[in-house]
Amino acid sequence: MHKSKFIIAACFCLFIIGGVSAQDNISPERKQAIDSLALEKVRDLSKYISIIGNKQTPFSEANRVMDRAEELFAEGSEMGVSSLNSKEINYYKVRQYFERLMALNYDRVNIKWYNIHYISDLERQPDGRYVGVVTIYQRFEGTSDDGMSYKDTTKKDITIYVERKKTQIQGRTIEFWDVLLGDIRVTETTT
Amino acid sequence: MKLLNRSFLVLCLTIVFPTLYAQAQIVGDMDDESRLYAETKQVNQFFRRFNGEEDEKGERYYARDKEYRDPKLRKKYISILFDASNRNIKDELKSQFTEHVTNKTNPITLDFHGDNWFSQVTTTFNYKGRDRTFILFMKLEQEKLGYKWVIYKVYSDVFRDYMKKDTSLGKFLHPLSHELDFMNLRKALDDASTATQFTIKDYRPDYLTLFLYEIKNGNLKFKTIQNVKFHFFQVNGWYFELSEFNRAGYNTGWLISDLIKVADKDKDLLRKYIYYEDQ
Repeated sequence: MHKSKFIIAACFCLFIIGGVSAQDNISPERKQAIDSLALEKVRDLSKYISIIGNKQTPFSEANRVMDRAEELFAEGSEMGVSSLNSKEINYYKVRQYFERLMALNYDRVNIKWYNIHYISDLERQPDGRYVGVVTIYQRFEGTSDDGMSYKDTTKKDITIYVERKKTQIQGRTIEFWDVLLGDIRVTETTT
Repeated sequence: MKLLNRSFLVLCLTIVFPTLYAQAQIVGDMDDESRLYAETKQVNQFFRRFNGEEDEKGERYYARDKEYRDPKLRKKYISILFDASNRNIKDELKSQFTEHVTNKTNPITLDFHGDNWFSQVTTTFNYKGRDRTFILFMKLEQEKLGYKWVIYKVYSDVFRDYMKKDTSLGKFLHPLSHELDFMNLRKALDDASTATQFTIKDYRPDYLTLFLYEIKNGNLKFKTIQNVKFHFFQVNGWYFELSEFNRAGYNTGWLISDLIKVADKDKDLLRKYIYYEDQ
């Protein structure tokens, strides 16, 4: 399932981006295609977070979903979590963040992703990879049968890394743009 | 759903363009979403709004679009880019600034890759077992294929005592010390508090060197970020500061938190003040 999604994403990029090998700069059209792919990955992440945070999800399934979610990220990615109550930012490895989310263990978790996203320009790093930031807002509502309830709206600034990769399909080398998620800053805005 | 989105957009427009503000009727969840549209969500968006390079939904305008950097659009955007709670920035000053940067014959835009803007990052480090504040000044530097943020100055109260140069003329190495193979160095450097009296006149202590030295020695360990802001010197005759506001209402996100009319010849003085070099 995951592999097929990867191939679809790769083909999608190839179709829109086409003939990338000779060019270093990302044109507006190409950027839009990359933005779509990045947003798709962010949506996947949002879906996974919803599953992991839900008590109804069996432990083994939550672990499987955490593995899938981790695959969206570049190695070593971290979550920086800040709130209105504290000046300090806490940093968690992505896996650790998911495990903390699972430990919250609400009976019902409702995650609403606002239909607002903001995608920055893509900037080139010294190593040639491009980096951008996608900002989304997420409404989290967790309730438990014992009456405990928690609500907040978090702003997530999600790093995306964009790089050109090569793959072999039926003996032919094909280049495509791949998107990986990186560090995420989560700002708790309201309760 | 589409209809709902459209209404959010209309609400957002009302907020973005204050002339229509009185018509806004906001309730419940809608309130949240219109606020999120109005927020200047990234520094990147601050640049785009300041330069007039995106529409109200955040969609990019490119050079081929007729709205790209349109002076009218820029005036409307710039009017919402100030921290409205800061009464030190007078309306008259804001208008002068807006007129200056949107002047039709000589418009001024901000350049992400240009010089004359930098970041001030207030951090907490654990220094020899205690939490202490360190301020890092960072700027973009071009390298190989792209750009990176680099630390170019540091300030901390912790190091202030190290920075003081003792200029009193009490101790010195006499001019024939060389004849004695500088054997008087032992006495000179025995007292740490007067060691700087033996340095060259134009010796300038450097916070960044000390900072890196203590990190490398394991005495200084990064804990967290307290605050990030930016200083812009890109507009001739002006300086402004950009800070992030996370609060209720529509005047949120990355906003101009300070604005000063300053002659270009005086900008170095202001920089020194920001870097704590005036002390």
